[in-house]
Amino acid sequence: MQSTIQNKEESMPGEKPVGLLRLLSSKVIADSIKRLSPVSLLSNPVMFIVEITFYIVAAEAIFPQAFGPLASSSQRVFYVEVAIILLLTVWFATLSDALAETQTRMTANSLRRIETDVPTRKIVTGETGERTVSTVKSSELRKGDVLSLQKNDLIPIDADVLEGIAMVDESLLTGESTPVRKAPGDQLIGGSKMISDTLVARVSVNPEETYISQMIKLVESAKRPKTPNEQAVTIVLIGLTAIFTIIIAGLVGLSVTLGLGGDLSVLIALYVCLLPTTIGALLPAIGLSGISRLYANKIIAKSGRAIETAGDTDTILLDKTGTITVGNRQAIEFIPFNGYSEKDVGEAAFLASWHDDTLEGRSVIRLSYERGFVPREINMLDLSQVYEFSATTRTSGVKLQSGTDFMLPKVSDSTSRGRVRFRRKFSDEPTAEENSIQEHMLIPHGVPSGEIEIIKGAPDSIRKIVTKVPDSFDKEIASIAQAGDTAIAIERNGDLLGVIRLKDILKPDIKQKIEDLKLMGIRPVMITGDHPLTAKSIANEVGIDEYVPQAKPEDKYGIVLREQGQSRIVAMIGDGTNDAPALAVADVGLAMNSGTQAAKEAANMVDMESNPAKVIDVVLLGKQLLMTRGAVTTFSIANDVAKYFAIVPVLFATALPVLVKLNILQLGLHSAVLSALIFNAIIIPFLIPLAMRGVSFKPSDTMTLFLRNTLIYGLGGVITPFVGIKLIDLLLSGVFHI
Amino acid sequence: MISGIEIFDIALLLVVLVITSWYVAEYIVRVFERRSSRLDKIFNPIENLIYKVSGVDTNHGMGWKEYAFAALLINIVQMALAAFIFMNQAILPLNPQHFSDLSWHLTFMQVISFATNTNLQHYAGEATLSYLSQMSAVQFLQFTSAGTGVCVAIAMVRGFKKGSKDLGNFYVDFVRSLTRVLIPLCFIAAVFMLAAGVPQTLSGYTTVTTVQGATQTVLAGPVASLVSIMQIGTNGGGYYGANSAYPLENPTALTDVAQIFLMLLLPTALCFVFGKMIGKEKESRPIFIGAYLLFAIDLAIAFIPNPINEGPGIETRFGGFMSTFWTVVTTAVTTGSVNSSLYGMHPFAIIAAFMGMFIQATPGGKGVGLMYMIMYVILTVFIVGLMSGRTPEYLGMKITGRDVKLVMVAFLVHPLIIIIPTLVAYASGAAAAIGVTGDANGFTQVLYEFTSAAANNGSDFLGTTANTPFWNVATGIVMFLGRYAPIIILLALAGAMIDRKRIEGTAAALKTESFTFSLVLVASIIVLVVLTFFPFLALGPILGFFQGHINFFGP
Repeated sequence: MQSTIQNKEESMPGEKPVGLLRLLSSKVIADSIKRLSPVSLLSNPVMFIVEITFYIVAAEAIFPQAFGPLASSSQRVFYVEVAIILLLTVWFATLSDALAETQTRMTANSLRRIETDVPTRKIVTGETGERTVSTVKSSELRKGDVLSLQKNDLIPIDADVLEGIAMVDESLLTGESTPVRKAPGDQLIGGSKMISDTLVARVSVNPEETYISQMIKLVESAKRPKTPNEQAVTIVLIGLTAIFTIIIAGLVGLSVTLGLGGDLSVLIALYVCLLPTTIGALLPAIGLSGISRLYANKIIAKSGRAIETAGDTDTILLDKTGTITVGNRQAIEFIPFNGYSEKDVGEAAFLASWHDDTLEGRSVIRLSYERGFVPREINMLDLSQVYEFSATTRTSGVKLQSGTDFMLPKVSDSTSRGRVRFRRKFSDEPTAEENSIQEHMLIPHGVPSGEIEIIKGAPDSIRKIVTKVPDSFDKEIASIAQAGDTAIAIERNGDLLGVIRLKDILKPDIKQKIEDLKLMGIRPVMITGDHPLTAKSIANEVGIDEYVPQAKPEDKYGIVLREQGQSRIVAMIGDGTNDAPALAVADVGLAMNSGTQAAKEAANMVDMESNPAKVIDVVLLGKQLLMTRGAVTTFSIANDVAKYFAIVPVLFATALPVLVKLNILQLGLHSAVLSALIFNAIIIPFLIPLAMRGVSFKPSDTMTLFLRNTLIYGLGGVITPFVGIKLIDLLLSGVFHI
Repeated sequence: MISGIEIFDIALLLVVLVITSWYVAEYIVRVFERRSSRLDKIFNPIENLIYKVSGVDTNHGMGWKEYAFAALLINIVQMALAAFIFMNQAILPLNPQHFSDLSWHLTFMQVISFATNTNLQHYAGEATLSYLSQMSAVQFLQFTSAGTGVCVAIAMVRGFKKGSKDLGNFYVDFVRSLTRVLIPLCFIAAVFMLAAGVPQTLSGYTTVTTVQGATQTVLAGPVASLVSIMQIGTNGGGYYGANSAYPLENPTALTDVAQIFLMLLLPTALCFVFGKMIGKEKESRPIFIGAYLLFAIDLAIAFIPNPINEGPGIETRFGGFMSTFWTVVTTAVTTGSVNSSLYGMHPFAIIAAFMGMFIQATPGGKGVGLMYMIMYVILTVFIVGLMSGRTPEYLGMKITGRDVKLVMVAFLVHPLIIIIPTLVAYASGAAAAIGVTGDANGFTQVLYEFTSAAANNGSDFLGTTANTPFWNVATGIVMFLGRYAPIIILLALAGAMIDRKRIEGTAAALKTESFTFSLVLVASIIVLVVLTFFPFLALGPILGFFQGHINFFGP
C-alpha cells in the first residue's frame, strides 16, 4: 500500500468537475421548472418571497382594478413584463440548483457505481460445511455475507478478501490506472472491478454505510443538511428580507395615505431588487459545488461541514513521508570503512537489496549498477536465503551459499513473510511469529566457509553485530543525519563494510505549498519517525518551523489534543489503525483509502487516491467555498446601492416628478424599473459559473485576501449594477423603445 | 462659507476631546473592574451604605437575563416615581410658580422619555415643570438613565472579555456609575458652567426692568446642574423649551463649545473602554475609527450647502456654522439638545442628523452607541469576513447562527419602530390633527419625531404641538422599545459570548483592528443601515431640497 502513495502523481485542486454547458440538458431544465412549485421553494425563503411577488404582480395584470390606487389598467403590459422578469428570477435560482445538483451527481458518478444494483453471487455455508452459491441483489447484502467474485465482476460493496489472489481495477475510484493485486487480508472497494482470477470475500459494511452512499446523501440538495455557516447566512438573508418587507410595506402604506400615486408593481420591483436575491438563489449551489470540487479531487467528505471546517484550519499536521518527501529515499553514495573500497560496499549493497522490492531497495540496485558494482555472486542469488526487514532489529539481509547446500530449509515462505510485512507497518511490537523468524535470523559469528551473509540496517543495529567499529563511524553517521540524509550500515560476515547514504527526495512543489500555508496563517507541523537531526534538516529545507521527530503514529493524538487545547483547528491525515483516535478528534481528518477500515471510519474525509499531500488541497477548497459564499453575499448586498438610485427616483414619478433629479443614471421611467429588475435577474445566471467554480484566489495572508475580495466583490458589487443597469436601459430604450 | 478657523476649531476640539476621553476611559475601566483607588476612602462608605440598605450582594455575578431584568426593573421603578411627581407637582413642594399637574399621557411619554435617555419634550420646561419636577424627576432620571446606559454597555463588554464568568452585578455597576462617574463629572462641569454664567438658583423667577423700560421675567432656576447632566449623560432634555438656544442655558460661545465637548466625552471614552476592558486596546480601533469616520461623513453632508443657513431659526449668537455643527453632534451622540431651531436647518443638515440617528453609533448615545457599534462589527465580520476564507470570528470567537439571529432581530427593531408609527400617524389623521402636512417638510417632521424617539435622541420639530394623547403614547412606546429591546437582545448576545471557545494568536484570523476593516465597517453600515431609509429620506428632506426649500419654515 505504500507504493500506491508513492507512485501517484499529485492531483491539484485544479481538477475540474463536469463543465457547465455539458450539464445544460432538457432534463436539467425540466427539473428546474419542477422546482418552481412553492412547496419546494420553502427551503429558500428569499426565492419563496420573490415567487409570491410574482403572483401579486400577475394578479395586478389580470385584475388591475382590484388594486385601487396602486394599479392602473393602462399599465397592464408593464405588469406582464414585470411578472415575467420576476418568474425568470425564480427560475434562474431553481436552474442553478438543478445545475449544481446534476454536476455533483455526474462528478460523483464514477464513484458511485455501487448504487446501481448488480446481481451478486452470495456463498452460504451449510451446517455440514458444504457451500451453496445463490444470486442476490447487491442492495440485499449485509455485513458478514460471503461473496464469490469472478473475473469481470463488479465488486458490489466494500469487502475483505478471504481466499484467492486476483487483480482488481480500482481506477474508477482512485484514478490509479494499474490494476491492484488483492490477496487474503486486503480490502476491496465497492465499485471496483475484477480483472482476473476469483476471490472469496466477506462484506465489511452494510450497504447504507459505505462512504459512497453517505456521499450520495450530500448530493441531494433537498435532503442535504445545511452547514452551520449556511444556516447563519440564511438567517442574515431572512433578516434582510424582513427589513425590506417593512420598508416596502411602509412605502405602500404611505403611497396610499399621502396619495403619492405609487404603483404596486414598481414598489414590488424595488422590493425584489433590494432583496438579497443573488445570494438567495446561489447559496445552495455554492455549497453543493464545494462538495463537487472535492469529488473531482477524488475525496469523499462525510459532511459538508467538514469542508467548511477545513477552511478554518489553524494547524496542519503533515506526515513527512508522502506529503513532504516522495515517500522513499534514494541511495546516492557508498561510503566505505575499515579499508574496504567503494566497490565492496556497492556490491554487498547490491546483494543485500536484491530481494528488497521497495523503491528504496531498487534505488540501491540502480546506484550499484550505475557505478558498475555488479557482484560476481549475482548468480547465487537464486539460492539465497532472505532475511526480511524486521522492525525490531531494524535490519534485513541475505545469505548466499555455494550450489550444493541449497536443500537447507527456508526460514520463511512467501505467505508468512507477507504477513510480517503487513504487520510491521502498524505495530512496533513483534508478534510471536515474527520473533520466531527473528530467532532464525540471529546468525552466530563464524559463518561456515562458502557462505556469505550480508546484513544491512540501522547503524545502531549493525554496530551490535560487527566485530570492529572504526572511530570515524559515529562522526560520519552524525554528519549524514545532520544533512538530512539517512545512513544504512552494511556488514558482511561480521565485518563492517561501510554505509549507504540515502537521500530524502522532496515532492516537487512542496516548498511552495508550505509557503502558501504559512502565508495564509496556517502552521504546518511535520510528523516523522526520523532522527531529530534528519527531521530538522528536512524541516529547514521546506521551511517548516515545527516538527516532531521520532514520532510514532499514536503521538499524533497527543499533538492534536495539544493544538486543540490552544483552541486551534487541526487538520491531519492518517491511514493506520493507530491513527484512528487522532483522526477522530482532529477537526479535519483525511483518511487514505489504502488505510485501515478503522482509520477511514474515524476520519471525516477519505481520499480515494491515498495521496496524503491532498490535505493541503482540502484546506484550500474549504477556504474557497467560504470565500465564494462571502463574495456572492457581499456582491448581492452591494448591488442594492445602484438599485436604490435606479428605482427610488421613479417610485412616485406621477406625484413627485421633482425626485427624478435623483435619477443620476438618466433612465427612462419604465425602463428604470425594468432595467433594474432585469439586471437583478440576469446577474444570477451570470454568477452561476462563479458559484460552481468558486472564486479563484492566490494563497496569501488573510488580510490581503480580504482586501482583494472586498475590492472585487464589494466595490465591484457597487459599481457593476450602475454599469449593467445603464446598459440594459440603453438596450431597452434603443431597441425596444420602452 | 466655512473658514479655516472654523475647521481648526473643530480639529482642536476633537484633539482635546480624544485625549481627555482616553483618560476618562482609563478611569471608567478602573471603576467597573472595581480596582482599588485613592477615591475609595470617599466613595466606599457611601456605596457600602447603599448596598447595605438595599441588600445588594456585591459579589453576586449576574447572567444576561438577570442583568437585563435588574436594569429593566430599576428603570420601571424610577419611571413610576417620576410619574408620581409629575402627576402631583401642584401639591408637592418647590413649586413657586404654581404649575399644575401633568396629564396622564404627557406623564407617560415624559417619564419614558427621561428614563430612556431620550428627553424628547412635548412641553416647555420653564412653563410647565416645578423646581421639584425639574430636579428630582427630570435630573434624577437623567442621571439614572445615563447610568443604566453605561452599565449595560459595560456588561456587554464583559461578555466579550476573556475569562468573564458573568456580566457583572447590575446594582453595583449602577451605584458606581452614579457615585464615581456621573456625579463627579457633572459636579465639575456644573461648577464650570456656573463660572461661565449659567444660573443655578431655587429662588424663583425674577422680574426685571430692561434698559428700554419694559419688564421681563428672568426664568432662572437650577440650570447649571441640569445642563451638565443633560450633555454628559447624552440626555438632551433642557431646562427650557428652547434648550441650549436659550441664553441662560447656553450664554456664551465658550459654554457652547463646552457643551459640545461634554456631549461627546463619554460616548468617545466608551469606544476606548471597550479595548481597555477586554485587554486588547487595538480592538477599540474599528469602534472609534468607524464612529468618527461616519461622524465626518455626517459633517460633510451637513456642510454641503453653501452658504450655511443663517437667518430664521438659527441662533444669532452662535451663527450658522456652530448651529449646524451642534445639530450634527447632538444627533451623532443621540443627545438631542439643541442650540438653535431645527426649523432653521438646511435639508442637508437634517439628512446628516437623520444619519446619526439611524446609525446610533457615531459614536452614539452613552453606552448604547458602543453596543450598536459592536453589533455592526459582528454583522460586518459575518458578511464580509467570510471573504477572507474562514468562518467568521470576532476576538477569536466563532460567530454562530444564534448570534446572527440576535443581531438581525436587534437590527430589525429600528426600521420597525420608525416606519410603522410614521405610517400610522398619517393614516390615523394624527399628523393632520396637529397641523403637520404630508408634503416634504411635514413628512420630515413626522419621520424625525419617530426617528428621534426610536434612537433615544430627543431633538424634534414638533415640541409642544405634539402634546396630544396620540403623539405622547406613540412616541412613548417607540422610545421604550427603541431603548430596551436592543439592550436586552444585545445583552443576550454578550451572555452567549461567555465561555465561548477562543482561537487566539492565529495569524489566519481576520484582523478587525486593521484600518481596512474599519473602512469596510463604515461602508457596510452605510449600505445596510443608512440606505435602508433612503426611500424615506427621498420623501422628506431630499424632496424638500429638490423643491427648493432651504429650511423647514412653511410647507
